Amino acid sequence: MSNKSIIAALFALPIVITQASAHATLDHSDPRVGNTVKSSPSAVTLWFTQKLEPAFSSAQVTNASGAVVSSGASVSGSVMRVGVRSLPPGTYRVHWKVLSVDTHTTEGSFSFRVGQ
Amino acid sequence: MFTRLARAILWGPALALIPLGAGAHEIVGNRFFPATLVADDPGVNDELSLPTASLFKTSDVPSVNELDIAVEFSKRITDDFALIVQPTWTHLYAPGGPLGNGASGFQNLETTAKYRLYKNGEHEFIVSVGLVAEWANTGAKSLSVDTFTTYTPTLYFGKGLGDLPDAVWWARPLAVTGVFGYAIPSRSRTIIATADPDSGDVTVDNSPNPRFFNWGGSIQYSMPYLKTAVNDLGLPDFINHLIPIVEASLQTPVSNFAGLDLKTTGTINPGVLWVGNTFQVGVEAIVPVNRQSGTSVGVIAQLHLYLDDLFPTTIGKPIFGGPVTPAKPF
Repeated sequence: MSNKSIIAALFALPIVITQASAHATLDHSDPRVGNTVKSSPSAVTLWFTQKLEPAFSSAQVTNASGAVVSSGASVSGSVMRVGVRSLPPGTYRVHWKVLSVDTHTTEGSFSFRVGQ
Repeated sequence: MFTRLARAILWGPALALIPLGAGAHEIVGNRFFPATLVADDPGVNDELSLPTASLFKTSDVPSVNELDIAVEFSKRITDDFALIVQPTWTHLYAPGGPLGNGASGFQNLETTAKYRLYKNGEHEFIVSVGLVAEWANTGAKSLSVDTFTTYTPTLYFGKGLGDLPDAVWWARPLAVTGVFGYAIPSRSRTIIATADPDSGDVTVDNSPNPRFFNWGGSIQYSMPYLKTAVNDLGLPDFINHLIPIVEASLQTPVSNFAGLDLKTTGTINPGVLWVGNTFQVGVEAIVPVNRQSGTSVGVIAQLHLYLDDLFPTTIGKPIFGGPVTPAKPF
């Protein structure tokens, strides 16, 4: 096998490793990260890149003054749903902290706006 | 690794070397710092670069093409401390090598002990320290490898700009990393005696082994960060996995180089990384900063595997320390 073939084979390794588990990081959300929705959503939904451990995964939504405006979070597979009260126009921040099924902890936050 | 370039400058028709893939990915709060290809970054993790390949023209006169293929294996001993081993195989094309018809072999083995000193998720800030060692006489003689060991105490940092104000939201995906090292040869001088094959006269070359300040870093714009922490613009999925990056790696002689015509040398490396859940691939150009650093633009590419994600319960976890602490709900 030539040197070029060996290098090509090595760079093709990702094809055989795409099924592994990994850190759970946010893939996308509804409302979308940084976007504006016309009216208050009933919940914020987070899609992650891996399945979550429900007992150790949660999220909060806070308003511009830092007050919590969300109720509890529920987890199903890799999706987390956080209920929110009726949100008046303003900017809100979602803080999430999750444990993936392979025991990696990750956390993050993002904002969205209502009616502005 | 930086000291190898210094050796190439000292010994003329030897190999010119750029640092290859000693970076490690790291998650700090919202920020994912990818593994970098040229300038070592602050991450401490279990991972494998297989391979990092580069092709470029050396600064020799005449300049020769050099192919480097490196493998880097990083293993956490504890959650904050890792040992890294990096063998590199080099091929010099003709007219390189001692006989002018090319040369191949391994370079001196490089190892790194790295400790994560500080990590602040809120401000996406991380600091690590390390000791890089290039071990004498562990490489091929045909490549004129160093006959002395070089120790480089090194400071690493990374800072994401996610805490910038809303007015400059577009800049939040930016992050910078930096690396600063002081390369100390184990011997202050190298003495080489050579005999003239015709006359039999012996000449002795007594050269100092300079100390170098190694410095560099990266500026990176994370499209994954833009999508998941700043503003989801609805871009195609492929774009959302890209991290455009510019790396720099430079070496400045500091002391013990009297009589040697040494200047700051190094490369600027613009390129792009594609980051997945368990691996990343990257390609960058190698742009020498001056004639002493190379004679044309080269290329470097890397496949980097995240062992902590691929094998979280076996080789992807620290040797010592309990299981990962679960996140506590709010």
